[in-house]
Formats: sequence, C-alpha cells, structure tokens
Amino acid sequence: MTLFAAVFSHYRRHPLQLLALATMIVVATMLWTGVSHLTYQARASLGQSEQAVAERRKVVRLDGQSVAVADFVTLRRAGVCVMPWLEVQRPNAQGRVVGVDGLAASCFAGAGESAQAWNQPLNGKPFLDIRDAAALTAGPDDRSAELTLLAAEQVSQAALPAGYRLARFSLGPDTGELGESFLLNLDALGVLVLLITALLLRSVYQLGLAQRRDSFALLHRFGVSPVSVNRLLVLEMALLAGLCVIPGVALGRLLAGLLGSGFGQALDNLFDAPLYAGQAASWLSSVLTMMAVVMVVCLIDLIRPVSRAPVTLLAGQRRTLALAVLLFGVVLALVASSLVLVFVAVALVFVGAGLLAPVLMSGLARRLARAAPDPLKRWHFAEFGVLARRLALPLVALQFALAMVLAMQALVTVFEATFDEWLSQRLAADFFVEVPAGAESGLAVDWLANEPQLAASGDWQRVVRGKAELRVSESEPGQGVDLLAVAPVGRLLTQWRLQAASDQPWQAFARGEGVMINEQLARRRQLAVDGPLTLTVAGETLSLPVLAIYPDYGRPAGEVLLNAGLLPAAFKPGFESLSINPGNLDIATVVSGLQRVWQVETVTVRDNERIRELADTVFDQTFLLTRAMTVLTLILAAAALLIMGWVFFSTRVWYYRLLAVWGLRDREVAGQMVRLAVSLTIGIAVLALPLGIWLTWVLVHRINPLAFGWSLPMAVYPAFWVELIGLSLVVGLSIAALMRRQLQQPATMPASASSLAGGER
Amino acid sequence: MEQALLRVHGLAKGFQSGSEQIPVLANLALTLNQGQSMALMGRSGSGKSTLLNLLCGLEHPDAGVIDIDGQRFDGGQASDRRAQARRWADLRRQRIGVVFQEANLMPAMSLLDNVRLRARLAGRDDQGCLAWLERLGIGALGDRFPDQVSGGQRQRAALAMVFAMQASLILADEPTGSLDRHTADDVADELFRLQADHDCALILATHDAELAARCGQRLDLAHPSSSSSPSTSSMRSTRSAPADRQQ
Ligand SMILES: Nc1ncnc2c1ncn2[C@@H]1O[C@H](COP(=O)(O)OP(=O)(O)OP(=O)(O)O)[C@@H](O)[C@H]1O
Ligand SMILES: [Mg+2]
Repeated sequence: MTLFAAVFSHYRRHPLQLLALATMIVVATMLWTGVSHLTYQARASLGQSEQAVAERRKVVRLDGQSVAVADFVTLRRAGVCVMPWLEVQRPNAQGRVVGVDGLAASCFAGAGESAQAWNQPLNGKPFLDIRDAAALTAGPDDRSAELTLLAAEQVSQAALPAGYRLARFSLGPDTGELGESFLLNLDALGVLVLLITALLLRSVYQLGLAQRRDSFALLHRFGVSPVSVNRLLVLEMALLAGLCVIPGVALGRLLAGLLGSGFGQALDNLFDAPLYAGQAASWLSSVLTMMAVVMVVCLIDLIRPVSRAPVTLLAGQRRTLALAVLLFGVVLALVASSLVLVFVAVALVFVGAGLLAPVLMSGLARRLARAAPDPLKRWHFAEFGVLARRLALPLVALQFALAMVLAMQALVTVFEATFDEWLSQRLAADFFVEVPAGAESGLAVDWLANEPQLAASGDWQRVVRGKAELRVSESEPGQGVDLLAVAPVGRLLTQWRLQAASDQPWQAFARGEGVMINEQLARRRQLAVDGPLTLTVAGETLSLPVLAIYPDYGRPAGEVLLNAGLLPAAFKPGFESLSINPGNLDIATVVSGLQRVWQVETVTVRDNERIRELADTVFDQTFLLTRAMTVLTLILAAAALLIMGWVFFSTRVWYYRLLAVWGLRDREVAGQMVRLAVSLTIGIAVLALPLGIWLTWVLVHRINPLAFGWSLPMAVYPAFWVELIGLSLVVGLSIAALMRRQLQQPATMPASASSLAGGER
Repeated sequence: MEQALLRVHGLAKGFQSGSEQIPVLANLALTLNQGQSMALMGRSGSGKSTLLNLLCGLEHPDAGVIDIDGQRFDGGQASDRRAQARRWADLRRQRIGVVFQEANLMPAMSLLDNVRLRARLAGRDDQGCLAWLERLGIGALGDRFPDQVSGGQRQRAALAMVFAMQASLILADEPTGSLDRHTADDVADELFRLQADHDCALILATHDAELAARCGQRLDLAHPSSSSSPSTSSMRSTRSAPADRQQ
C-alpha cells in the first residue's frame, strides 16, 4: 500500500493532470456511449419490428378511409383472422410503441405460422398490450395513434367481406439500405470520435508517465522491481478507468436521451423510418468495452515485453510508410465498390495523415531553421520542431477533429442547400391557406378562378395530399405511395426542376395525360419517362404514362404528382391547401373571400417565411446529433491541446526563462511564445484543411452514392475554413497566455533525467 | 582610483512564505571593480543564488541600491520597476553573462548555434563563435546538440557563450557544481584564464573552498535569521586586487 501511495503521489502533486485524465476518460466514454446507444437502440428496434411484420399484409377499406374498431368487428364476424396493431407516438420523443392484442394474435398462431414474434413479453420494447397502448393516447381521435388491421397469412382476398381488400403492410416505405447506411455513418462517426479521444487520452497519460519515470527509477534503485511497478500502474489505471467509465456511460445515456428526439426525427423525417422504443444496449458491455479501450490505449507499452524492442523505424522510413498508407487509402477510396472498403480507406488516410503531419511540421521546421540566418529565428524554428514532435498526439487529434468538423459542416450545409431548393420548389407561393375540415375546396376554387385581379397578376393552386397505391402486377398487393395532386397547373408548378422529362411535360400534365414521379420511386421501381404507371386511388384504377421525374433530397418515400382534376370523387384527402401568390390583390381580401364562400369564421393562413422557419427547425433538430458530436469533439481536442501545451510547457519553462536571462524583454519573450503557439495551432489547422476537404469529397461522392444511392453536389465553404483557423488562433493564444502565467512564477532548473542530459529536443 | 563596476549597499531581500516574511539577505554591501573576482560562499539556502539573481535584475530587491556599469537600480516604486526591468534586460543582453550549474543551453540547437545566438543577442558579430568553442577545447563539437555532449563540455559551451558576448560581468552560480573534480578543475581553469585575459569581473557562487580561494575576494553569506546581527555577511579580501589581475 505504501508503494502504491508512492506511485500515486505523482497525482497528488499534479492534481490537474489527474483531472485532465479523468475528464478525458469520462468525455470519451460519454461521446462513444451516446452514439452507440442510439444506433444500437435504433437497429434493435427496427430489426425487431421489421421481423414482426415481415411480408405481412393488412386489410384496408376500399373507400380509402382509415380502419376503425367497427371494421375489426365486421371482419371478425365474417371469420377473417385479423389482429389490431396500434402504433402510438409517445410524448417527449421516447419513440413509438406498438399495441398488439395477444388474444387476437392467437388465431395467427393457430394458423400454423411461426408465432415467435408474438410470444415475446409485451414490455413496451416496442410491443405492449393494446390496452396499455390505447391508454397512452390522449383522446380517441389523437393523431399520434394509428390503427392497422394485420391479416393472417391464410387470409385471401376472396374471403374478405365487401368493401375491404388486402394491402402490403410495412413500417413505412421500403428504405432499402438507407436506414442501415445512416446508422453505419453514425457508427463511423462514433469510431472517429473514439479514435480522437483515445489519442488525447494517450497523450495526457504518456505525458504524466514521462514525468514519473524519475521516481520509478528511484523506486527501482530502492529495490522495487519494474514488474511490480507496472502491476501498480495497471491497478491504478483500472481503478481510475472504473471510476470514470461508469459515470461516462451514464452521461452518454443521458446524452442519447437528450439527442434522441433529433435522432428519431432524422430517421422519421428523412427516411420515413420510425424509431421505436427499443432495447437499450446493456450497461455491462459499454462499461467493459470502454474499460478495455482505456486500458489498452494507456498501457499498451507495458504489454510489449521490454526485451523485445519495438520495431524502430528511421524518420525517413516512417515518412515513406505514412505516405504509402495515405496514398493507398486515397486510391482505395477512389476504386472501392463497397461501403466498408470506403470506411477502411478513410481510416487509412487518417492514419497516414496523422503519422505524416507531425513529421511534416518538424521537417519543415528543421529546414527553415537551417536556412534562417538570424540565430533567434533559428531558435524559433528549432523550438517549433520540438513542440510539433512532443505534442504530436494532441495535435493530430486536433487535426482529425478539425477535418471532421469541416467535412460534417460541408455535408450538412450541402444537404441543407439541397433540402432548401426542394423546399422552395414546394413553397413557391407566398401564402398557404389550409382548407378547413368539412369545407368544400371546390367552392374556393371557383371563387379564386373568378377573381380577375388574381388571374391577371397572381398565381394560385390547389394542393391535395393523400395516399395511393402503386400496382405492380395483378397478383401482388400494391405498394403505398404518397399522392400529391395539384391543379390548376400554373407558374407555381412549371418552375420545378425536372431530372428527366418527355416532350413538353407540363402541357401534357395540365391536360391530365400523365403523372410525374419523384427520383426515389423511379430508382426503386426502375420507372422511366414515358413508361406506364398504374395507380389505385380511392378504389379506382388510373393508368397513365410517366411524363417526368423530379429530384428530391433523398427521401425514400415514393411520390406521385397528379393533376388534381383526375382525382376520383370518392378520394379522401389527407391534407388540402391552397397556395396563393396574391399579386396586386391584398391577401386579406382573398382570406375574407374564402371565409365567405366557406362560411367559416377563421381560416389558417401561413406565410412562406413561417413555414420555412418551421422546416428549418426540423432540419436543425435532425442534425443536432451530428453537430453536437462534432462540436463536442472539437472542443475536447482544443481543450486537450491546451492542457497538453500547458503541461509540456512546464517542463520547458526554464528554457524560455533563459531567453529573459539573455536579455530579451518580457514582452519579447511573450511575443516569441505567442508566435510559437499560434504557428503550431494554425499550422495544424492548415494541415487539417486538405484532409477535411478530402473527407467531404468522400462523404459526398463515395459514401453517399454507395449508401443512399444519390449524390449531392460537392461544395466547400471557405468562410468556414476561416472560422476554424480563427478557432485555432484562439487555442494558440490561450496556450501562450497559459505559458506566460507560468513564466511569471519563479522557474526551477529542470530536474528530470532527460533535462540533466541537456533537455529534450 | 578605479571606477567600481559594481557597488551594492543596503541590499535586502526576503520571500513571502504563507503569511510570514522570510528574510534571506539583509543590509548587504559589496564592491567589485573591473577585472576582479569574488567568491560567494555560504550554506545551502543562505541566499547565494538569490543575490546573483538580484545582481542581474531577475529578482527585485526589497531595499538597497545597486550601481552597476554606471547605472543605478533601487527598490523603487512599482511604476519605476518597469523601466528598471527594461534597463536590466538591456544590461543582461549586452554586459552581464550568467552561467548556471546546468541547463545553460537551448536544447534544440547545436552548441555553435547556441553561442551564435548569445553573441547576436548581445549585438556582437557571430564570426568568432567557432573560435571561442575552439579556445575552450570543444571546437569539434560545434554541430552537436547539448544532449550529445558531456556535462563538462556543456559547461565549456556555456563559458564560450559568455565570452562570445564579451560580458563585462560574469555571474556564475556553481558552474562546476555538477561536474567531477577533474573536469570541474579544467572548466574552472578556463574560466579564470579567460576572465583574466578579458579583464571582466566575476562573481562565483560555490560550495567549493578551493575554487573560492582562487577568487580575489570572498563574501560569506549566513542566513539572517540564524544570526542576531543585522549585518550578517562578512567580506574579506583573499588576495589584493593587483594580484587578482596578474593571475
Ligand atoms: N522564489 C522563492 N520563494 C520563496 N523562497 C525562496 C525563493 N527563492 C529562494 N527562496 C528561499 O530563499 C533562501 C535562499 O535561497 P537560495 O537559492 O538563494 O540559496 P542558495 O544559497 O543558492 O542555496 P544552494 O547552495 O542550495 O544553491 C532559501 O531559504 C530559499 O528557500
Ligand atoms: Mg543556489
């Protein structure tokens, strides 16, 4: 125990180092646990739900209305085996849950199919008893709950009573690999963050260890064997890791909870894939994984037997190796045909860049030092080289973090721009008037059409949203698609950008001679312009050619744009509105006119700006997780460099003092330190730029097409570079300020073994 | 009558330790002419390093006056301290060479570059720097870094630095303290030889009585708190000033 106290006494003298180490472990654990918790949860719940409903069908009403309890009664009386499935969106983004009726499910099991999916405990992850699910909904007509009637496998179309038919049931549109790729991307982000924090952790620990070498040597002279010292180090690290990892995991789960809503929305809004309340990753596996990571990162040198010296490479060889790894990664990223290979390529490029950056910096410093005629400049460059080598780990971590932030920022901004473009197509009008429940939109259409001023100077269109079914073949049940019906066809519509189109598509569309479809539908169903398309809308079948394909931002849901004039009379809109550019007319006039024809007191009018605001909020929510991760990592990397710079400087303070002894004024010495620290952080930021741009390119041109099947335009944002370089400047200045504070305290002569031999260089 | 290079009187310095003030030096006086040498003796903690720091402006005295090279420094007002600090910096840059027990060299630069840097800071030409290393017997090591040479060779390089800057006052704080007897003697020989050749003043803090005996004067510091007398330092001449020069 006394030996342990002797070993541990280092941290009593340097409590800040212990604090830095502990913080690093806690934050690394928190970030990694947060992300992996979310992705695990999403994967588990998606997988479980998909499995439960794999290849299932549901019974729907022919008139397009949603099913209710009465339909369940009718069907059961007719002897059809159906089970109610009540999907409930829980408040506060706790994810959705599904209420199932165990009793009704028994006829599924009796029909000889694997009842396995229903035999699990109904514990709310995500399944629970339908009574409990119903209790979660606020009212009977609550929009957050949706009832579906699942049909057992043996139910055939012929067995159904009149007014019903079978349809394919799935949890949202077929996302293909989309959801999985999104999670994979998040995993990759999590691994990158773990890598960066591991680098930081190692650097802080190594620094402390270097300072403790002398006392270990002393202990050795007192007859304590190195083995027992090492054993103590392992024990110490295990204790520290144990103490820090557990709160880290707890914080990570808290973080996941905080970001969960944004994450759920990302899945929901972007991919229409709901996030169900899923099982959480177990505490034990997170804790054990992080313990292992921390121990390995810090103590890897102890594992290597001392007798077998590590493979030492000459500086030149190391540079060549790093360059080879880097180039191999770059080439691999170019030619790789699978997502995993691209991720491997990214890892290789990062490793190569990380090995190369400090070598490059110190090599450049050496060259500059040799060329400098002024000895003080020569000192500056020589010292810069020492700093670049000694602070290599935190510098590289900062480089990685900067590159990651840069790429993420570019990607999110590009995505936002694409989304914005898509949004402005949809929101071309200045005002949007919701058609009130029970009101007849036809009256409004007549009124608007007969308003001469509007016809002369404005634009308007009726927009109807609803569901339709895409018929693929006679035997198969159809696939649900979103229906967007618009009329009349005016400038609000004809300015849409089209990806592919037949000759004069809008004229044909206005005459009702065809439909337009979105990019995702065309991709998934291999539909081309002029090809035929068969739709079932409210029980009626429409067969029309595809006039054009329009781009969207990658939402996987299929969408069909239809002239509203073609809608069958029985069609029940999901949502109906009027888009209006009033022109010379006052919007108030329009509104009062509509109130008159509808005979209502109020109508809901939203202006363009307000809707855009709402959309932006949703968008920001969606990327909250990514942004939070990257910004946290950047802050961590900057803080670590700050701590490391400061701790390292304390071993160096004597030599900076020497400059003052040699007659440099205080301000000149401070100026030297500012120049050193700032050129170091700016240097690494500049080295991070190409890496970040390359990563952006990989994300946009390699990972996205492979993962999502679509590519965004590549854009770089130099203004953001300037921001990052500004941030590096701040970090550099802060390091210099910390250095200066130390300089004002009396310097003691360096007393470590290496400094007695002339100091580190 | 020779103009004194350094004249100190009434010098006092103490350090704050917690709430109490611990006196280290009190009412100290000394005079040193150009070309003279003085040994500072005293037990560990008696204030030798503190005095040397005061004599080159790295510490600020609580009281007393230091006249050096025609300039006057005293424990003046705070506003005055800034200006004094600048004058001290200029003096250190051009006139005062300081040699510590170790770590006198910038570790990231070769011995020759260290000497060049020191010479250039003092405004001297750096052409003769290699010659200085040669005179100290380490001319062949100019391209080596401090961690590639022995402790004695590092101290020789430190001496080369103070001579290359043409210091008129050398403050040496146990310059041979971490060397073996033989090497220490060699380094001390060089120091005294060059000091005599270049007619500069030398103050040498040491525990080594033999080394102290080679200096023209000797100042014994006793810890002020261990003695009741306010003037705790005794000063005597070990040799006459002319003899000092003839060495
Ligand atoms: N910055 C400081 N703060 C507080 N006390 C100090 C400081 N510097 C020196 N002292 C104290 O002043 C006294 C004199 O210290 P100094 O270093 O001058 O002794 P020294 O004679 O050089 O000793 P040594 O022979 O061991 O080098 C000591 O008691 C020391 O503890
Ligand atoms: Mg001393």
